[in-house]
Amino acid sequence: MCCMCQIVPERVLKRLAADRKFSAEQRKNFADTIKIDTQLRRLRTQAARLTRVAGLIAEAPTVAPAPAITVYDCNHGQTLPGAQILNPATSTDPTAKHVFSETKSVEAFYAQVFGRNSIDNAGMTMISSIHYGVRYNNAFWNGSQMTYGDGDGSIFLDFSRANDVIGHELTHGVTQYSLQLNYTNDAGGLNESLSDCFGSMFRQWEASQSVKQADWLIGQDIMGPSAVDSGYTCLRDMADPDAKHCLAPQPTKYSQVKPGMDPHLSSGPPNLAFCTIAKAVGGNSWDQVGQIWYRSMTGFGPAPNLKMTAFADRTRAVAAELYPNDTALARAVDAGWKKVGL
Amino acid sequence: MGTVKIEKIGGLAGYGLPGSRLKSSGETAISALSPTDQAWVETSFQKPPRSQDGNERDTHRYRITRTKDGRDQTIEVPEALVPHALKACVSDKLI
Repeated sequence: MCCMCQIVPERVLKRLAADRKFSAEQRKNFADTIKIDTQLRRLRTQAARLTRVAGLIAEAPTVAPAPAITVYDCNHGQTLPGAQILNPATSTDPTAKHVFSETKSVEAFYAQVFGRNSIDNAGMTMISSIHYGVRYNNAFWNGSQMTYGDGDGSIFLDFSRANDVIGHELTHGVTQYSLQLNYTNDAGGLNESLSDCFGSMFRQWEASQSVKQADWLIGQDIMGPSAVDSGYTCLRDMADPDAKHCLAPQPTKYSQVKPGMDPHLSSGPPNLAFCTIAKAVGGNSWDQVGQIWYRSMTGFGPAPNLKMTAFADRTRAVAAELYPNDTALARAVDAGWKKVGL
Repeated sequence: MGTVKIEKIGGLAGYGLPGSRLKSSGETAISALSPTDQAWVETSFQKPPRSQDGNERDTHRYRITRTKDGRDQTIEVPEALVPHALKACVSDKLI
């Protein structure tokens, strides 16, 4: 009875329930069916509402909280992370205060410009250790945190002084949680180049510099007096990778990149391509070219052994996808890569 | 026991790379090292230590060379795995 009644309109059931031609028992069944049908309709309505709400909850983006930023003091030892500085924002140690504020600024850069929530895009705590080692001339990413040496005061100053260095190290984390590039051959060069590109973009973004105003130098702020006196102005120059003013000059052509080459050398061609493209496009590096690079880095899943040719082609495709009507941009991207042989 | 020559390579600044204006090197007598570090040297030349994580970026590598039986043997070791006494042997300079 119920199976049939579900498709019988309520007004028909009411008429049948009142029809004296049917027995009392049959009329009661029709009346009961009306009640059951009503309740079933209510249940279906509730179920539909529940499904809609559940769907909305499932479709809503997960809003992870902004990342915590922590700073540790190695006190010139080499054990990581060191002793936590409880309130780095108000620390009397200027290095702690500076590293905290610049790390927060890198976090804001990635959030505001690229919509990324921290290193892993899920609010990962950003950990930095300062005063690592004695007169330690380096900064590095160890797979889970940034580490900064004070420099020897002669060749190098405190490595955390340079905002592009902080952006560079933090971007190694972003790469680790996106493309997952290896650190050898083409992938290694791309890995280093992405850190230089985003480190330089961060420096320009902080200073509100256009591509014409930018110096495109990496590590200018950590050059110590003896390096400056010898005529060196930077570690690397993205606009002129093999220039004499670089402490670590790089190749400018992909044909110069050899298997097993250190990634700080093989990053030269993609660095020059990025700078060339950004200058040709004009404006702010992070507005269009940065978006192309970010999407190429984060939008296609891991590719640990990505070749430079594949990355170059990817940026060409992404440029067409993000800016389909901008032929000048497409030409600039293509020409920039061709300049370095890619 | 002889000596070990040590060179620091790579890092953010690209020490010792072709064309680099930075060099960091030094040497020490093996007998001047602690017994633990001497054992590390011996073991490392038999089986060079490798990084377990593999996600370190911009860290240095140490190229360590010793002369044994009249010929040079060289290994490269990630800085995190090199004893402090050996790392302390090198000094940085502009070239």
